[in-house]
Amino acid sequence: MSQLKSLYDELQRAFYSRPSDLKKCGTLLAQLKIGLIEAGLLLPQGDLNLTDLAVARDILEIGAFWSIRTRDVPSFDRYFSQLQTFYTDYASSLPPSKREFPIRGLNLIRLLTQNRIADFHTTLESLPLPADAIADNPYISHPVNLERWLMEGSYSKVWNAREEAPAEEYKFFVDSLMGTIRNEIASCEEAAYESLPLKDAATLLFFTNQSELLKFAQERGWQVNLSASTITFARKGEEKIEIPKQKLIAASLAYARELEQIV
Amino acid sequence: MTDVEMKPADKVAEEKKEEAKDEKPSLPTPTAEIKSNIALIDRAVSTLEPRFTHRVLRTLATLRKRIDDGVLRTTIEEAYPKDSVVKNTLLSWLPSAPAASSERSMEIDSTLSKSATPEPVPEAEVYLRLLILYYLLKSPETYGKAIDLSHQTVEKMQALNRRSMDPIAAKIWFAVERTYELGGQLADVRPLFLSAQRTASLRHDDESQAALINCLLRSYIHYNLYDQADKLVSKTTFPTSASNAQFARYHYYLGRIKVVQLNYSEAHTNLQQAIRRAPPAKQAPGFYQAVHKYFVVVELLMGDIPDRTLFRHPVLEKALGAYFDIVKAVRTGSLSEFQTTLSKHAAQFEADKTYTLIVRLRQNVIKTGIRRLSLSYSRISLRDICVKLHLDSEEDAEYIVGKAIRDGVIEGRIVHEKGWMECGMQKGGYGPEVSDVFGRRITFCLDLHNQSVKAMRYPLNAHRKELAAAQDAREREKELAKEIQDGDLDEDDIGGDF
Repeated sequence: MSQLKSLYDELQRAFYSRPSDLKKCGTLLAQLKIGLIEAGLLLPQGDLNLTDLAVARDILEIGAFWSIRTRDVPSFDRYFSQLQTFYTDYASSLPPSKREFPIRGLNLIRLLTQNRIADFHTTLESLPLPADAIADNPYISHPVNLERWLMEGSYSKVWNAREEAPAEEYKFFVDSLMGTIRNEIASCEEAAYESLPLKDAATLLFFTNQSELLKFAQERGWQVNLSASTITFARKGEEKIEIPKQKLIAASLAYARELEQIV
Repeated sequence: MTDVEMKPADKVAEEKKEEAKDEKPSLPTPTAEIKSNIALIDRAVSTLEPRFTHRVLRTLATLRKRIDDGVLRTTIEEAYPKDSVVKNTLLSWLPSAPAASSERSMEIDSTLSKSATPEPVPEAEVYLRLLILYYLLKSPETYGKAIDLSHQTVEKMQALNRRSMDPIAAKIWFAVERTYELGGQLADVRPLFLSAQRTASLRHDDESQAALINCLLRSYIHYNLYDQADKLVSKTTFPTSASNAQFARYHYYLGRIKVVQLNYSEAHTNLQQAIRRAPPAKQAPGFYQAVHKYFVVVELLMGDIPDRTLFRHPVLEKALGAYFDIVKAVRTGSLSEFQTTLSKHAAQFEADKTYTLIVRLRQNVIKTGIRRLSLSYSRISLRDICVKLHLDSEEDAEYIVGKAIRDGVIEGRIVHEKGWMECGMQKGGYGPEVSDVFGRRITFCLDLHNQSVKAMRYPLNAHRKELAAAQDAREREKELAKEIQDGDLDEDDIGGDF
């Protein structure tokens, strides 16, 4: 236990020093997790010492932040699921952690960037907050607003909000979020425009220079006309409607069989 | 969520018949009714016919409202022999009655059942416990006592382990869940339910299993644990032989899980099933209203506008008032009206747990707005769209219209250089989708037919007669075949015979 304590102190020092010693944190976290398992605190069950639990929660929270800083999303996912026990089952006995909502918010953003909207909403419903308090909590309202704007199509608002992240770690997701948005916008443009001037396309897609745009256009297979400086979107053509013969035959046979049974 | 007592719809007719019969000699007193019920349970156990037990349980909803401690006391006194242990334990749960009345009932007891009534079957005891439980739930002071009683009853049930008790056990489980919910300890009882559910499914005790799955779902959803609820649903199979009332509940909970997961079309089917299977609106108004609240929201989320007649329904009119306002706002596609309605009724939506769902409607409001514009204009500038829909900027409007075109909400295209939207023609209404829809409807009708054939009851042994007839026919045929082989018969005779 005493060894655990010294490791914990060391972790805190490494984490809070500016800039944090991420490499050291990583090795310390690995040791600490083994220590927690031995003490039965990683997946706590039953009644345990409350201060121990709070320390265990603290370690896992640092772990979650550490995973984001080292850009390791699967590891964040693991830390978050381990923290769930502390946040839900011991919510009444443990003092609330000030890192709880930042971490929950990060989890929401993660779901958003991975385009897991259904999970996003399920998680949102299970938050221990009344619905009208969501707007007042900066950590939660940020992802909630992002989701709303994404669904509406107000992409410029998402773009503008990327600098307003309530915590440092949120910015990590900004890049992948922007990638998602660009693809969304691109697919909208393909459907909604016949052609676009290069300059306007760059503004719509939030590109600052043309070479980036050209690279992107190439990836999506757009026809770029450099002399007229326009992009023409390949029409997917009026797809020929094919009659699903197999399906119709199968359905008709099924009807015939059923009718036979009735008559 | 409201406490909802439901009775299977198909039994109502039968009940009415019974009531009509009872009308002449006036309604029996609760005591008499309970006693006749105990006799019925006894018969059910001795003849192994669960039908009688079901008949008893059907009266539970009406009976529950009419019982009080006096009624229970006299019934227990009269039903059990004088110094039965069971009687004393049962009586101990009731508040001690004023001495005079209890003495009087004791006298009645001794005069009536001098010849020592035989001890009723344990099922009857559990049934009486159920009644006492419901009686204790009537006032908040006795909730603690009710929890104790429910615990003992469950233990007793599990110790007895009798298959003839299953229908009553299902009711007990529901009452236990209700007890804990009212006592505010719903989360603590979950392990008990989970283990009971396992046992019930191993014993093929369909009724208890259905009741327990519903109890668990209710408890998960009460604490917003949609993830766990979803896992439970995917890991269990809801028994198909469950009663309509349990099915209605199950579909309601399923609908709620699906709508959170944005699976609107499935949520819609589930809620519709719940409405169809629910008892008539007048009998269980609470359930009817609760389902309809979700139903309206889901319809809106799917982009449909609910029928106006729904909001004029006498049972729903008042309860759905706030939802009606929301529907109006969505229909007109006005964001500002939507926002004001939302903030005005926020408290009610919060209480109904539909707030987060209604917030999701915002994008539908915009979509409806754009669709209306695209129908009425053949060409409209982005600036005008922005003004009409109360959007923040033209830039937003462009993205939003672009998304609407991609999602297939409207047909049209944006001309960026001129800054306007050109609206195209509507899609033709023919194609493979039509045959798909048609196919779905035909399958539904055929399914309905097959289900009704399956649900028919045939008199026992009736098929024996047919079998005998068939045997005869076969024998005749054999004879005939033999004769043909022998060449005794020419073809004209065969034609004549058949």
